Amino acid sequence: MHAFILSIGFGVVTASILALASMGLTLQFGITNFVNFAYGDFLSLGAYIAWTANTRLHLPIWAAMAVGALGMGVVAVLLDHFIIGPFARRFSNLFYVLIVTFGLSLILLNFIQAIWGPNYQRYQVAAQSPMHVGPFLLTADQLIIIAIGAGLMLAIHLLLTRTKLGKAMRAMSDNGSLAMVSGINTRAITAITWFLSGALAGLAGTVLGLDLASITPATGETFLFVIFAAVILGGIGRPYGAMLGALIIGLATEISAVAIPAYKLDVAFGLLIIALLIRPQGLLAAVGKA
Amino acid sequence: MQFVYYAITLVFFFFVYCIFNWGLNIQFGRTGILNFAYIAFVAVGAYFTGVFSMGPPTAGSGQSYILGLTLPFPAALLAGGLAAAVLGLLIGLVAFRRLRSDYLAIVMISLSIVLYDVVTNYVPLFDGADGLNGVPEPFTGVLHLNANSFLYVFAAFTGLLALAGWWVMSRITRSPLDRTFRAIRDDPDVVRGLGKNVFGYQMLSLLIGSFFAGVGGGLLVEFVGAFNTSSWTTPETFVIFAAIIIGGVGSNAGAIVGSLAVPVLFVELPKFLPQIGGNPALILEIDNMIIGALLIVTLWFRPQGLVPERRTRFGRLLRAVDRGRPPLPASPAGGGKEAGDA
Amino acid sequence: MREIQAGGAGANDARARGAPDTGAAAHETGRAGARAPAADGGRATAEAALSCTELHKGFGGVQAVRGASFSVPAGHVCALIGPNGAGKTTAVNLISGMMSPDRGRVLLGGTDITGWPANRIARAGLIRTYQLSREFGRLTVLENLMVTPAGQAGESLWNVFFRPGKVRAEERRHLGRALGILRTFGLYELRDNYASELSGGQKRLLELARAVMAGPRLLLLDEPMAGINPALIDRIGEHILRLKDEGVTVLMVEHNLGVVERICDQVIVMAEGATLATGQMSELRADPAVVRAYLGGALSDSVAS
Repeated sequence: MHAFILSIGFGVVTASILALASMGLTLQFGITNFVNFAYGDFLSLGAYIAWTANTRLHLPIWAAMAVGALGMGVVAVLLDHFIIGPFARRFSNLFYVLIVTFGLSLILLNFIQAIWGPNYQRYQVAAQSPMHVGPFLLTADQLIIIAIGAGLMLAIHLLLTRTKLGKAMRAMSDNGSLAMVSGINTRAITAITWFLSGALAGLAGTVLGLDLASITPATGETFLFVIFAAVILGGIGRPYGAMLGALIIGLATEISAVAIPAYKLDVAFGLLIIALLIRPQGLLAAVGKA
Repeated sequence: MQFVYYAITLVFFFFVYCIFNWGLNIQFGRTGILNFAYIAFVAVGAYFTGVFSMGPPTAGSGQSYILGLTLPFPAALLAGGLAAAVLGLLIGLVAFRRLRSDYLAIVMISLSIVLYDVVTNYVPLFDGADGLNGVPEPFTGVLHLNANSFLYVFAAFTGLLALAGWWVMSRITRSPLDRTFRAIRDDPDVVRGLGKNVFGYQMLSLLIGSFFAGVGGGLLVEFVGAFNTSSWTTPETFVIFAAIIIGGVGSNAGAIVGSLAVPVLFVELPKFLPQIGGNPALILEIDNMIIGALLIVTLWFRPQGLVPERRTRFGRLLRAVDRGRPPLPASPAGGGKEAGDA
Repeated sequence: MREIQAGGAGANDARARGAPDTGAAAHETGRAGARAPAADGGRATAEAALSCTELHKGFGGVQAVRGASFSVPAGHVCALIGPNGAGKTTAVNLISGMMSPDRGRVLLGGTDITGWPANRIARAGLIRTYQLSREFGRLTVLENLMVTPAGQAGESLWNVFFRPGKVRAEERRHLGRALGILRTFGLYELRDNYASELSGGQKRLLELARAVMAGPRLLLLDEPMAGINPALIDRIGEHILRLKDEGVTVLMVEHNLGVVERICDQVIVMAEGATLATGQMSELRADPAVVRAYLGGALSDSVAS
């Protein structure tokens, strides 16, 4: 019983990481209307950029995290500008851009492996002992992860509802062609969205690496479909759905891990399948998307 | 002598990848199904062929796996193909529920990862990450072969199967069934509006392709004698996609060219190259990046691939039909198109 | 457009079934061969080829169709007109099975097809075309027609390998018919072109040719004249009248009121999701409610808009 209660605490940590990652994916999907299959590698690349900043440039972990996020954001914009965007504009058929992102995933994975090697790497952080936070047992880092997750969710919420940029993003997400003829600079918004997507991915990758205590080139890819599960569960293209999906999947995987430890990912997959079978448009359905 | 060994292995892989390519081609090239889990089907075929032809796991071998029925090679191979088809059936039941193409791709890729995860973690199934070893050599007892002649014979046998596969695929792609597949590729909703059971056709396409994948996997495990999880990571699916797209998406001949151009040239051949510096995997990594880049470049500059899909003309049939009709004042004479029939 | 899965007919039928079933209307499965009584006379007594009762459909907060009811007599050419946003295309989607109505019923020749999946409705003889031509771009023009008939022998894997003669014979049959239709629509020379290579007008003709190939009892045309030059409009109009002679019932959504006046026996007006009026163009022009709905604009035009 005690283990279950503890797992809820871990679930909140996972949910926070997942929320960051899911938000990045769903925001980008809302604007571009296709899934980026290289997104998992965005997480990995961001994590490794942060690792280099942390271990080679000797930045403290939180600064390194920011470097990783910014770096990945820039890479994402470049990838969209030179490769993904042109394909998306040229071919109306989704197949092409999906395969291109699939290909980018392969390229990125091997790039990371070539530069940083295939083995486990660790961040340079002080060893931590878990503390009692209410009924849960969490380290200080894990608490900070939760804070980052919650903080960014709030920031995104404010961005979407209070700023002109956010309103433009929501308009584009609802109806891209209408937004275009309404004078919204869709190219600029798309670029900014990719930056946000990459930055959130980089951030998520780093905190994931912190939580897992090590990173490998494939870490992000393996996590990708947990992200898919969260995003689809919540309704693809819906930012608040992504948050809700992240919470559900995060909690579900950690709680189930008490009973069946090796199969966390498979629980997420099971939930994904159930979601697709029962309610493919997601819990907070987006009208006109799926 | 070493060179001959390399050459025969490459020939074998060429044939096997032809079979893989035809399978994915009917699914993706002709019916438009984004099966990002294709390699999982190959793996299922390999594993099941393996455990069907191996004996029960002994304590000394250090392996654990299910079944172990010691079936003769042809039966085991068939079983592998059927097992892959069964997987296709299960997946199709879940995935073909009018999901848009990226949802389908997500389900497929997630499935692939989950299967990988389950096989790796649940060791009693197929011996986890170590995989199967010591798969009995086919043809023993029937032919007396040493290590080398086995390679020749099996490569030739695979070539024969590839020929048979080519014949089967050609029949299918020249049929009205394939026409319906291609209509679904373009617009499944309109095909539904014509009264056809789109779900059934997608399932059929998936099953045919899965069977090919499974048989190919079975051939692989029998040739190499072993099979483990490193052989079927997600990048492997990508290699096959790259092969059929670069070779010519939708074209069976293109699949053959693709087999030569991508897996043989870029995957198997580099395995025989010497290593760079101290990093054994570097060549492979650069290699994978090149394949990815090549695919993107192909999609941009020549999306139809090296051997484009052949346009269907009803040459022979048209002339037969036209012969039977009374002459119309404004119609051109007869069929006129001498190009080969569909 | 969001698609609702009209899976088992059970749930949707229960939802749509307001009044008790009209009883034993014969379930006709025949195609265009079943001849309906000719245009005039018997209009009131001829069984309606299509009838809609109290259709409702909402998306999110928007009620696209609210209580549309109309019927199309067999063997007639009818038009469904109305200002933009009147719910015409949604109504067409409901009738053809791309969506299920929230409420209301659709009867095809007496059979309740409400909630049926699109392919089942198509097999029952109701074929529709689309507002934006949806040809199979990567198939040739001839293939576009050849793929149309449902239940072809050659679509079965077994037949492909074990009954090639049967497949060939059926292909020959379909081919003869397809070529004839192509000649009629003037597309014969283009038969080996990919459908994506056709011009806009040619794609429209192909759309109609494909619908004809399907041998429908009821043809549902969604803006067949949209974006077509005047000469072609006349030809398409002639094709439609020819179909009527062969006993096909036609319902078309159209904005081109000139054409509607020339070829349609009856006009149904929709506005704001509901049926406003039914009758001849001349009657409707005098109807103040109809005029108001169109804001007097399009109605005063007899020429192609």
